[in-house]
Amino acid sequence: MKQKNIDNIIALSNDLRWQIGDEFHDNLAEGIYADAAEIVKVSVHKPNGDNRLRLDAKIDKIITSKTWGFPLMFLILAVVLWLTIVGANYPSSMLAELLLNTIHPALKGYASALGLPWWLDGFLIDGVYMAVAWVIAVMLPPMAIFFPLFTLLEDFGYLPRVAFNLDHLFKLSGAHGKQALTMSMGFGCNAAGVVATRIIDSPRERLIAIITNNFSLCNGRWPTQILIATIFIGATVPASFAGIASLGAVIGVAILGICFMFLTSWALSKTVLKGEVSTFNLELPPYRPPRFWKTIYTSIIDRTLIVLWRAIVFAAPAGAVIWLISNIHIGDLSIAAWMIDSFDGFGFLFGLNGVILVAYIVAIPANEIVIPTILMLTVLVTGISGGAGAGVMFELDSANATGEILRAGGWTLLTAVNLMLFSLLHNPCSTTIYTIYKETKSVRWTVVASILPVIMGFVVTFLVAQVWRLFA
Amino acid sequence: MEVKPKSACDTCAHFNAAGLKKLGVDTSSFDHVIALAGNPNTGKSTVFNALTGLRQHTGNWPGKTVTRAEGGFEYNNEKYKLVDLPGTYSLLSTSEDEEVARNFILFGKPTVTVIVVDASRLERNLNLVLQILEITDRAVLCLNLMDEAKRNDIEINTRTLARDLGIPVVPASARYNEGIPELIQTISEVANGSIVCKPHRIKNIPKNIEKAVEDLSVEILKEYPDMPNSRWIAFRLLEGDQHIINLLRTGEFEEYIS
Amino acid sequence: MNTYDPLLALLVFLGICLLGFLFFRPNNGWFWLINKGSQSTDKIIVEDILKRLYHNENAGKYLNINDIVRTLKQNDKMVIDSIDNMATLGLVRISGDIVKLTKSGSDYALRIIRAHRLWERYLADKTGFNKTEWHQRAERKEHELSMDETNLLAHKLGNPQFDPHGDPIPTITGKMAELKGVPVSELKTHTIGRIIHIKDKPDIIYKQIMAENIHIGSIIRVVEKSPERIVFHSEGEAFKLAPIMAGNITVSILEKNISYEEDILRLNILKENEKAKIIGISKEIRGESRRRLLDLGFVKGASVSIDLLNPLGEPKAYLIKGTSIALRNDQASKILIKK
Repeated sequence: MKQKNIDNIIALSNDLRWQIGDEFHDNLAEGIYADAAEIVKVSVHKPNGDNRLRLDAKIDKIITSKTWGFPLMFLILAVVLWLTIVGANYPSSMLAELLLNTIHPALKGYASALGLPWWLDGFLIDGVYMAVAWVIAVMLPPMAIFFPLFTLLEDFGYLPRVAFNLDHLFKLSGAHGKQALTMSMGFGCNAAGVVATRIIDSPRERLIAIITNNFSLCNGRWPTQILIATIFIGATVPASFAGIASLGAVIGVAILGICFMFLTSWALSKTVLKGEVSTFNLELPPYRPPRFWKTIYTSIIDRTLIVLWRAIVFAAPAGAVIWLISNIHIGDLSIAAWMIDSFDGFGFLFGLNGVILVAYIVAIPANEIVIPTILMLTVLVTGISGGAGAGVMFELDSANATGEILRAGGWTLLTAVNLMLFSLLHNPCSTTIYTIYKETKSVRWTVVASILPVIMGFVVTFLVAQVWRLFA
Repeated sequence: MEVKPKSACDTCAHFNAAGLKKLGVDTSSFDHVIALAGNPNTGKSTVFNALTGLRQHTGNWPGKTVTRAEGGFEYNNEKYKLVDLPGTYSLLSTSEDEEVARNFILFGKPTVTVIVVDASRLERNLNLVLQILEITDRAVLCLNLMDEAKRNDIEINTRTLARDLGIPVVPASARYNEGIPELIQTISEVANGSIVCKPHRIKNIPKNIEKAVEDLSVEILKEYPDMPNSRWIAFRLLEGDQHIINLLRTGEFEEYIS
Repeated sequence: MNTYDPLLALLVFLGICLLGFLFFRPNNGWFWLINKGSQSTDKIIVEDILKRLYHNENAGKYLNINDIVRTLKQNDKMVIDSIDNMATLGLVRISGDIVKLTKSGSDYALRIIRAHRLWERYLADKTGFNKTEWHQRAERKEHELSMDETNLLAHKLGNPQFDPHGDPIPTITGKMAELKGVPVSELKTHTIGRIIHIKDKPDIIYKQIMAENIHIGSIIRVVEKSPERIVFHSEGEAFKLAPIMAGNITVSILEKNISYEEDILRLNILKENEKAKIIGISKEIRGESRRRLLDLGFVKGASVSIDLLNPLGEPKAYLIKGTSIALRNDQASKILIKK
């Protein structure tokens, strides 16, 4: 009986819907707004009509003007990035001094005093602790500077205007103007950039923004780029131009990343994503003075610490793996050496080498530990003096000394160029992959976002390597 | 809207604990569940933080809270659970945010729904308010960002507004904590039944639709005589809302509304 | 490594790229062809024949075997075999040369048509595919959907009456909403009507009509009629069509008391410091995009003005109900206004 009544209700609703036709939603929306207008007429008095605040309008006129709009935008982005990269140096080296040069030896000392077996203390302290400490030292300071700055701009209301100014460029590649912001956020951290795509409410454009976020060079990769460019690119020109040349190379890689972002966005929107629903709208909220301290506090809690925590969770097992493969021996070679040997030929095809490929495999959790791993592995296989022992990542204070180790490992200018390219174009770190899965809830898009950049990286480095060898 | 003496709690409203549990909200040890709804960019999260003391990030961005945030506060020895719904322009569409907000108010039946609006953009915000008032008859309008409205010389008569909407209206500037004590007071009065709302119902609908809604509404009331929002269910059925149709089919609907 | 040569490596790479291209290039890639081949072509041929017979019989025409073989772009022998097969299954009757649908044959045909039109409706309302792709995609999908899937789809879409071209969608029982319309070519001047159907065949004419930006649901007013051309106004634009194009557009004539808004403009031509009232949103915006615009306040009667111009030309920000909302030009061009 009951079921029958319910079926009746559903059947009746189908019939009625059939009779009313397609206009139901339009009519309802109009009706509600008509009611709203009647209510407002009685209770609200606006002497100035619908006009916006004069100050708001003035700020907008400047920020979106043809003359000032774009220079202002680039200036602000440059200042934010400069503050992040340069400003993070001091706290980073202090943290490294504390965590890597003070606490690490101290822990080793305690361990030997306690009489821990060498493998346990190596596994825990040289493996797990080292990876975690490294990620904290390199990742925390730039994020703690970048995210609050970004959040202040966001709270003020400037960022929606950036999306407004740039939307046309993104539209050409089938994307949403707000992708400009998620992309910039990616310069800080791709995982945070992926979370930030929530502001894009059109499904197709949001997926594009998620999949292409990895093309923004994140702060785990900036130091790699800067170090390699300083060692190898700077050395190709007279010493007085070395700084400019290496800086130019790093910026060039970042811009190349932006080009790949546009290209991939365009290709995705024309192929696999063309069936996804696309809607566009962008609200320009009024300017509101940000509350400085509160913003800083919440952005550190909300963004920095959450991302850092995820990175640590993924870095700890990576540290363990790195230590294990360098210390477990099969025959007379360690697993790492076996892997490096077997990848060497493959790596050669792409102008890279086995060490680099192995480093990128084991350092999936965080781009920050790629260089220390490469150095450790190079020392391990070449047998040159230096380093801190098998499975113990290290970095040197001077770029020259680092360069010597790398050259001893067989590195050339081509290796350096291709490493820079591969550092730009490879799979996202596992924190980001996990975040992509959380945000899209789709294995398919997570796989696409993870595999696509690696394929592009291999194609690009392959082409560069062959052409280079043909002409050099 | 009429004000009754604060007496024994036979008029007290009750939230739907079973329904809320299904929606993933733990209500044990709380006396009331309060939902916070509103357009994006109306300072909804700021109100949430002001009420709970939590520091959820509040961006100057439309569509920030994608999932629900939860918090709580205590007032007059009663515990209130506060659930911050995603900011939406409307509850009529199929987007994920709107579904979350819509289903929470409809099935979770929060004791009180606080609707946060931007005082200087009232007309646009009323779109959402009027939709929510079709679903629930226990709501409070929080007229937020009054400071901005004042700077714009916008005057709002809260008395006539409360009369027309049929729910209490509380002006506030959550950024400066202004109006928050009054808001808490009003929430508790609605929760305890000392304020009874008579919410506005949408009027300006073409005749053929009004008739269809009425016919359907009559049928629904035959089956579920106590349903306060049969009109809204009728709207959703006419819109072809799969979620509701499926719940009706499987009989789960009953569990939610009981 | 002794065989390594960069040139050779490059050539191998180019070879792989070429192969990949040949396999996966859109439409004619080998992968798609193999994929298509593995589907049961028999079923597709049978269903295509049924559809063709149904449409023709509806128009009062009967086809013979030759007609069918000619119009179906398939292997002739396979088509003839299929027709024989259909006769044994009782889907068609062959009398002499003429092939006629039986009751079960026409029921089957209706089911295919239902699947096709529902899928078009789905593509129009729930996906982002361009309108020029709807028909072709539905042509493929109609053979894949089972009856249960079709019914589920109908249910999910809220049992719609019409497909996006205005063709009625048959119900489960084969009922179809009636189209009571008049071709535009037969309208008198000054008649006001609402477009209810645009024929999607022949393809050339359909594409021309689509290129003219004419769509279902728009209200038109005929202003000039001669044997060479028909001129009508719709949504603020004037359209000049040859009679054969106009003959493919059907309108239902509206009662006299509906006034046609003559000086309708589009939001994208609004200039700074001008004010306008919104008349409505063009029927071309459908599904989620339409709802979003309505929710944002782009409803009949709302007043709108330009809030901000863009350094790159678009999007422009419009002040609507007290808030600044940016829209791209192609969206704004589908919002109808009156100054």
